[in-house]
Amino acid sequence: MLLNMDRELLQIIGVTLRMSFFSTLISCLVGMPMGVIMAKSSFRGKRTVRKITGTFMGLPPVVAGLIVYLLFTRYGPFGSLGLLFTVEIMVVAQCMLIIPVVINLTESILSVNVKSLTETAKGLSFSKWKTSLLLLTENRFSLISVVLTAFGRSIAEVGAVSLVGGNIQWKTRVMTTAIMLETNKGNFTFALALGIVLLLISLAVNILASFLTREDRV
Amino acid sequence: MIEIKNLTKNYGDRAVLNIGSLTVKKGETVVIVGPNGSGKSTLLKILAGILPKSGGDFTVNGSLYYMPQQSVPFRKTVKKNLIFSAKGENKEKKAENMLSLLSLTDFADKNAAGLSGGECQRLALGRVLINEGDFLLLDEPSSAADIEGTEIIEKAVAEYKRKTGCGILMTTHSPGQARRMADRIVILYNGEIAEEGAPEELLSSPKSVWGKKFIDMWKFDN
Repeated sequence: MLLNMDRELLQIIGVTLRMSFFSTLISCLVGMPMGVIMAKSSFRGKRTVRKITGTFMGLPPVVAGLIVYLLFTRYGPFGSLGLLFTVEIMVVAQCMLIIPVVINLTESILSVNVKSLTETAKGLSFSKWKTSLLLLTENRFSLISVVLTAFGRSIAEVGAVSLVGGNIQWKTRVMTTAIMLETNKGNFTFALALGIVLLLISLAVNILASFLTREDRV
Repeated sequence: MIEIKNLTKNYGDRAVLNIGSLTVKKGETVVIVGPNGSGKSTLLKILAGILPKSGGDFTVNGSLYYMPQQSVPFRKTVKKNLIFSAKGENKEKKAENMLSLLSLTDFADKNAAGLSGGECQRLALGRVLINEGDFLLLDEPSSAADIEGTEIIEKAVAEYKRKTGCGILMTTHSPGQARRMADRIVILYNGEIAEEGAPEELLSSPKSVWGKKFIDMWKFDN
């Protein structure tokens, strides 16, 4: 089945990659700057924000899925958008789960050298933008692991996406929901094939990450 | 000119700095000496805008660059560290001049993370000097350097000052360095100016109790 690249299998891989790519991208674009702010600045309520993001890190995926479902169901506040049971809403649910993880990990990584780097940057009269860029580039290798974690969480997620996506064939079915369905049907060959593909994707992403994190050894 | 008036810094109830009056003119090098915890670094950090002051006032007429005691090398090559820190045009040319001034040309394409402590300080100084500011704040600029490294740093600062006419406020624990570099030495003790004056006069015959005590400790140590 894998060698023949079954049409449905290819479609499921496509949806999974699209969903994981956009969830990771949006979560990192939102979460990393927030992590930088958390690490760099002292502001009133910082501890509270940290507690909230910490709590959301442990949010069960089905609960996140339920919240998003209720918000986007036909009679919910965003029901008119008609997004329920689409890949877009699956991305929204995943972002809800991943953004707190990205914020917390980014803050933890940056807090190790934020003081010395901002002091150095201030001494050199760097702008706020250049200082933030410096923080991100100086910690780029560690931050790639945050991206990997976000991607890993996204591609492995099942509870929230099955709730808001509905696991609809040819539309919102992703690897994890398909594996669950095929296992329930007793179709272990297809389920296993999907599992192997999932692992291969994960391996490919890790190889890419190792390539990107090669430090210049001059 | 850097002008300080009644500048104070407190941590809770503890006063760590109380500078009545201190000025640094362009073209002048003022060296602050004093034991650990006397407030030298705190003063420089306040002037650089890193720490907030508790009271008093200070003004800086002109651009100012600060080299912290522990400056972090960026994860780039030595030359790219300098280019990244430079402003305006001809960054590459400026970086090459700095490499030459600080005897770092051989390290230009090496990763800065692999430099020794003394070499790191030379690089940190280069990043500060590259923009030709009106005033420099240098916090123990050669504390990690060996004798040769110290000589390179001192000559680079002197050459830079001659070329740009900048004002320098720096700290050191080395009486020899203070004597070589200072137009004026300020002895800081418990956050206050104990004494100030020309190097030879002050180091040979301190007048205040704290000044004498500090010079005695210096002599004992050297």
